[in-house]
Amino acid sequence: MTRIRTDNLGEAKAFVLHRPHPSMQPLLRQLHVIGLDVHEAWPELPAEAVMADFVFYDADMAHEEQFPWKPGASPMPLIALIGSEAPGRLRWAMTMGAHAQLLKPVSDKGVYAALLVARSNFDRTNEAAAHITDLEARLSARQTIVQAVMIFVLRGKSQAEAYELLRQTAMAWRVSIEEAAQRLVANHSSEKVSDDSKRVDLP
Amino acid sequence: MKRNIEIGLLHSLSGDYVALAMVARAGILRGVAEVNADPTLDVGFSVVERDPEGRLDRYAPLCRDMLQNAGVRHIFGCITSSSRKEVIPELERFHGALWYSTPYEGFEANEHVAYMHSCPNQHLLPLVEFAMPRFGTGVCLVGSNYIWGWEIAQIAREKISAMGGQVLSDRYLPIGDTGLAQILTEIQSLQPDFIINSLIGESSYSFLAQLAKMRAEAGNAEMLPVLSCNFTEGEISAAGAGADGMYAAGPFFEASADGHGSIAEMSRLAVHELAGYLNANPGAEMLPLTDLIALVAKQGRALRLDSENQHASQPVVIAQLRAGKFEEILRLPALAADPYWTRRDRSSLPLPNLRVVS
Repeated sequence: MTRIRTDNLGEAKAFVLHRPHPSMQPLLRQLHVIGLDVHEAWPELPAEAVMADFVFYDADMAHEEQFPWKPGASPMPLIALIGSEAPGRLRWAMTMGAHAQLLKPVSDKGVYAALLVARSNFDRTNEAAAHITDLEARLSARQTIVQAVMIFVLRGKSQAEAYELLRQTAMAWRVSIEEAAQRLVANHSSEKVSDDSKRVDLP
Repeated sequence: MKRNIEIGLLHSLSGDYVALAMVARAGILRGVAEVNADPTLDVGFSVVERDPEGRLDRYAPLCRDMLQNAGVRHIFGCITSSSRKEVIPELERFHGALWYSTPYEGFEANEHVAYMHSCPNQHLLPLVEFAMPRFGTGVCLVGSNYIWGWEIAQIAREKISAMGGQVLSDRYLPIGDTGLAQILTEIQSLQPDFIINSLIGESSYSFLAQLAKMRAEAGNAEMLPVLSCNFTEGEISAAGAGADGMYAAGPFFEASADGHGSIAEMSRLAVHELAGYLNANPGAEMLPLTDLIALVAKQGRALRLDSENQHASQPVVIAQLRAGKFEEILRLPALAADPYWTRRDRSSLPLPNLRVVS
């Protein structure tokens, strides 16, 4: 579910990575009015910017060496300040991982919306990434379980007996089924390498 | 000798919210008359008026006409947020300023607008802080189905849950609709400790009347207290006896029963505010609003407007409608506007120190 949080914007720290320019005044003013602690930076984002709650960056003249993190891996919501709508610049702005955008010249309109939208997209991206990592882990665990069951089947158990054995093993070791399967498979492959390796102590 | 400055007046003389517009207009005209009669001011105003007739599409062209053809820089007008949003691009294009004196939902701070009434940290939040300890924590929200109703409900929901309360229901009714049966049945069964009413016009009057009937039938005049941030003196006669007992928050309540209320008063004060800025500053009427405010602030004059967000600092008054007249219950000193609700800790009220007048 997409949530818009309006809390905690007061005193939030924002960095604006843009060369000093009069067209930035309305953005800086509006961020002050909204209640943010605003810092201008150019040409480099200082290391302390990793602690910022928001970073605005110039999509026209900035380049990735100015950022203390890898493209797409910002630890906070990013907002692109777009002047040129040329596809190459836009692609770069997206590669950096913009969570929202503002068109230059920036007026007071759209700044608050960009903050909330960027944070919402940032939260959602992180939640999705965590979810994917979890699913990948479970997906690869399923393969391991099948392999572990096969080990028992190869030793003459039926499939149902093999599953039951795996379950009992996990219980005896006080670990999850996935973890037990992983250990069984690891031991089995080392057995194949040397015959006198330590055997799995089956219950 | 006074120098004469033409100012614009942009209020609808007909349409859905004509009652509020007429009240605001009367306040502006009174302010103009007072400024013109004041010998200590070196400025006088004459009024250029346009009537949008309550039609949203007419606001922008009429605003542009005044700025472009009538030589006006400062316009007093607009009741609804949607009409304000309509004129802002014209103000930006032609360097105009809008003096807006209606309570609104916040989340805006345009350099071309002087927000002379109040926003939620000056009406809704103190009202919830007043009501929760007094009435209880279960709340029903009812509002008209447009931005005011939605945003008031959104802010109320956040505030109520932050204070440990619970929103029992949250219902909206199309503007002008009086089909309230379902909402009232729900309220009857939920029995909330209080109700926040953001309905406007006829919907609101009908809602208040039917709640009054429910109280009479139950023989309990104290049950289902109603709170509102948009009910003003101008509506007392239209709402009738059903509105009695309701609580309202605002920067000002009229002491006399026939008064116009806060929208008229803030409109009147807006005219005085501009006159004060322009007095002894020849030519200053041509400055953009931000520069004018900066100039006056530098001269050390007293400003109602915050020079950063251009919202007026306002006292918070909570009043109860008793026998057709608002009686002040509680008054807090002038509070700076926080249109984006980002100074939450600082804006929360020191409850134990409240002075209660009843």
